Amino acid sequence: MKHLTLVATASVAALATSIAHAEPLRIGIIESLSGAQTSTGRLYANAVKYGVDRINEAGGFNGEPVVVTEYDNAGGAPEAADKFRQAVADGVDIIVQGASSAIAGQLTEDVRKHNIRNPGDEILFMNLGGEAMELTGDKCQFYHFRFTTTAPMRVNALTSAMKEAGDLGTKVYAINQNYSWGQDMQAAIEAAAPEEGYEVVGEVLHDVNKIQDFAPFVARIKSAAPDTVITGNWSNDLLLLMKATGDAGLDVTFATAFLDQPGNIANAGKTALGHYIANNYDNAAGDGTFAETYRQATGHLPIFVEGHSAFAMAQLQEALKGLDFAGGPINVTEIALALENSTYDSPVGPISIRKEDHQSIRPVVVSKVVENPKFPAEGTTLGFAPVKIVEGKDAIYPVQESCEMDRPEG
Amino acid sequence: MMSFRSVLLLATLLALLLAVPPLLDLAWQNALVNVLIASLFALAFNLLVGQAGLLSFGHAAYFGVGAFAALHLMIAIEDGLAFPTPLVPLAGAVVGLVVGLVAGFFATKRSGVYFALVTLAIAELIHALAPRLEGLFGGESGIGSMRMPFAGIVFGSTIEVYYLTLGWVLFCGLGLYLYTLTPFGRLTLALRDNEQRVRFLGYDAHSSKVIVFAISGMVSGVAGSLLAISNETANYSLFATDVSAQVVLQTFVGGSTVFFGPVIGAAIFALFSFLVSDLTRSWVFYQGLIFVLVMLYAPTGIGGAIQHHIRHRRQLDWPALAAPYAAMLFGGLLVAAGIVFATEMVAVMFGEDYARTREAAGGALIPFELFGATWSPTGPSTYLIPLVLLGAGIAILVKVRRRIDAVWAARGEQGSKTQTLATTGGIQ
Amino acid sequence: MEFAIISTLNGVTYGLLLFMVSAGLTLIFGMMGVLNFAHASFYMLGAYVAYAISPIIGFWAALVIAPLFVGLVGMGVERYLLPRVHKHGHAHELLLTFGLALIIEELIKLFFGDFPVNYQMPAELRFSAFTIFGTDYPFYRLFIGGVAVVMFTTLWLLLTRTRTGIVVRAAERLPHMAEALGHNIPLVFMFVFGTGAALAGLAGAVAGAFYPTNPNMGIELGVIVFVVVVVGGLGSLKGSLLASLLIGLFSSFAVGLDWSLASLLSLVGLGD
Repeated sequence: MKHLTLVATASVAALATSIAHAEPLRIGIIESLSGAQTSTGRLYANAVKYGVDRINEAGGFNGEPVVVTEYDNAGGAPEAADKFRQAVADGVDIIVQGASSAIAGQLTEDVRKHNIRNPGDEILFMNLGGEAMELTGDKCQFYHFRFTTTAPMRVNALTSAMKEAGDLGTKVYAINQNYSWGQDMQAAIEAAAPEEGYEVVGEVLHDVNKIQDFAPFVARIKSAAPDTVITGNWSNDLLLLMKATGDAGLDVTFATAFLDQPGNIANAGKTALGHYIANNYDNAAGDGTFAETYRQATGHLPIFVEGHSAFAMAQLQEALKGLDFAGGPINVTEIALALENSTYDSPVGPISIRKEDHQSIRPVVVSKVVENPKFPAEGTTLGFAPVKIVEGKDAIYPVQESCEMDRPEG
Repeated sequence: MMSFRSVLLLATLLALLLAVPPLLDLAWQNALVNVLIASLFALAFNLLVGQAGLLSFGHAAYFGVGAFAALHLMIAIEDGLAFPTPLVPLAGAVVGLVVGLVAGFFATKRSGVYFALVTLAIAELIHALAPRLEGLFGGESGIGSMRMPFAGIVFGSTIEVYYLTLGWVLFCGLGLYLYTLTPFGRLTLALRDNEQRVRFLGYDAHSSKVIVFAISGMVSGVAGSLLAISNETANYSLFATDVSAQVVLQTFVGGSTVFFGPVIGAAIFALFSFLVSDLTRSWVFYQGLIFVLVMLYAPTGIGGAIQHHIRHRRQLDWPALAAPYAAMLFGGLLVAAGIVFATEMVAVMFGEDYARTREAAGGALIPFELFGATWSPTGPSTYLIPLVLLGAGIAILVKVRRRIDAVWAARGEQGSKTQTLATTGGIQ
Repeated sequence: MEFAIISTLNGVTYGLLLFMVSAGLTLIFGMMGVLNFAHASFYMLGAYVAYAISPIIGFWAALVIAPLFVGLVGMGVERYLLPRVHKHGHAHELLLTFGLALIIEELIKLFFGDFPVNYQMPAELRFSAFTIFGTDYPFYRLFIGGVAVVMFTTLWLLLTRTRTGIVVRAAERLPHMAEALGHNIPLVFMFVFGTGAALAGLAGAVAGAFYPTNPNMGIELGVIVFVVVVVGGLGSLKGSLLASLLIGLFSSFAVGLDWSLASLLSLVGLGD
């Protein structure tokens, strides 16, 4: 089948002089493919390509295979703005990005401006990983869709699941990185306290990925004597924090958002046992069909952000099913409208879009690090075991008042 | 004064810069905007390093504040302030000048290595503080605005931004060039060559240096605001060390001893990153390698080497040089091919994707794809090709260099090419 | 009281680690006037080499081999690369080492990837030295501090009590005079540079097993180390020891007491 399409495409191309060419849907991945966040950027790109391959296997869109191009933003917002212009030059219809809220903020603004200046030639932004609240708050706009959780979703799911499992305790310490994501986490931790019946015994915001030695922070945590430490830290900041806590022999449970980042479990070792994570997806949470299909297509099980990014593309595929431009020009506004109404049945539950701010209403999986799980992490005997799947309708938070979305007319 | 020929050359270049871009596609127009901005930034940086002999490792600070100043002004215009959009870079100039004055006052109290460290520290300080000062720098997501129309020009398209940028870059570039011709510009050179003597002549070395520093900061600020106009946003990553590092690389590869040298470096790097950065993940590695090789073998940079040739054009036996230069180019290409092959091979074989496919294949050393061919990790050709390329290339280069040296020596001067090159270089 | 004692201990061990890295930098600068931008990269290189070879030859052997390897790299840089740019002045030497730092970092990313690698201390070192106020104090922290102290003492004795030390100090003060007296000064310089690099490599090999080994560890530490050598007065070994301890203690206490520059600035109305 694939070969047939290829042959067909080739012959169409050969006749291009006489026959009008159907316009392919173009997707641009603007990711951190070099620089400090390369590893994460790479995973987003992998998953998007996997998703596009699925669309193309099912016949593509608008009579053509969907075209996907990678752009390296080198982890910086100015570079991302530059690559965005390049993507515009290449005629991209949809841009996809995940690693870093700062870049997502840049891109959503770029998209907004582009769409104001080029009515009829809009661009859609699928945000796979920018979790900053402002993206669906101050900066919310019609052409931005967020296909991931936010701080309140993760914190609410974590605390409620841990409470049910009896692992939460009554004293919670919040340690987070001092930027919008960490501040969002801290606010969410404070906000959830009354409902889940805990007290925030201490809070700290620290520099992002600059701290080598977390022992002083551990000393601070210890003096507050919490039962649970909730942290949105990622990368080194999480790993070092856990290691320092383990070395100090401090007996607390960590509730995290990014413990499944590759390298963390292997590096932390036994220290990680018993810690929690709230995430979009976990291999052990579904029935395993998706994980296996993904493995067969890419050579490895979906890790870290790959799962939910693939779901986002699958949701796009669902939305595209109801559209037909008959080989003519792509109407991005109609794709956006279709996305708004789409629902994708992911392995962990249905995902839909909230029209008011384009935040996805999605399940949150809370897992715990155990020994000998179904899917061990990176050559260790440790891995995640799902504790609870919080359904989308329970996980979602109210629309932010700051969101004023201009909808397209008609 | 400039000769007729160089005026003609510049006029042609200007005509090309004016006439060609509308014919190019969006991506190229955008790349040219980047080239122009990088060029201006490098020129501003080189005022300090090439003219005054002060090596700054923190020029991102002045570039960055310029960008933020321009954005704040643009936000004000968006809110109704009657200010012509094309003059927005003035905000960057003013703020760059002021910050340059303050930072320069402290930094220029020291020279040499200490100066480099102080400038680095100032930039790091701003980089660390910027995300915390949300009102000024908008947190880690930064601040954004939109170019407002002025006098019927919408400033919506890239080509409009290009001409605006071109105008400012030409204006500032010319200004900087004329500055080097003024008595104060000459004094700047004297500061580089012999500061003590400048003092003996009765000048206040410190305040002169502060002024040079501030001017450099001012023009860097203009470059920053041009970036802000082009991107319409800025965040604190503009203050990062790699922004400072980029301008150092570009300036020295281009040549800091020649006025227009930095432009060459900036143009090469900006165009290369436009063309190459999506193809390879090792782009930064190649940049570092190019920089080190230039430092080792052509310390005056590309611009310096060109200038050196122009200066001796009448004495040189060009026909005799043609063949060895062609051979040198060939050898250089071989070496480059060898390095690129080896690097990309390592990138694939040690990459995560390959590790995963290996894992899937039970740990076997399976063949991989590179440059449209399949290579076996155990096959001899995989390693022989880069080795042969490198070996042959280096052999050619070494051999040819002797011949080139001989031709240069025959011009009546003593010493090899590299030695003569060296005498034209030298910052403190 | 508890907080003060723990913070002091942490601050001192961290300070000693900083000293291990800055000692080499100081030594090289004091001797040759070269501010080695690649020094923090040598630290990172030490950690990665130790990580790469420790599964084969064991942790302790790696602790010896990795610094030796880094030392050799350093000697190579001093012998073959620096002389080429030496005649253009210290700024060019600075630029060259800056370029080398870029290359080393990118090479490490090329071979080991962007993730932190799993470089672990051996199990026999993973125990708590003592328990203070209910908190275990990891032995490895003391071990890092211990290595630094041993290193400093050795270096100090070597420089002040041996013949070699006299030659080195002579070469530092009056290289031409020392050369005229028949000492091979280029060789001395090469060994000093190599030793400095090896010290950074040793620090990396030791600390990499405790702090994570990742491609950013060089940059992260580099900035602090520059601060240390500047505060300590460029070129002074004693000064850099003092500055290392000071900055180690400061960063440890600053965290506990929640000081930051930004909060200082908000005092004068520059806050959010």
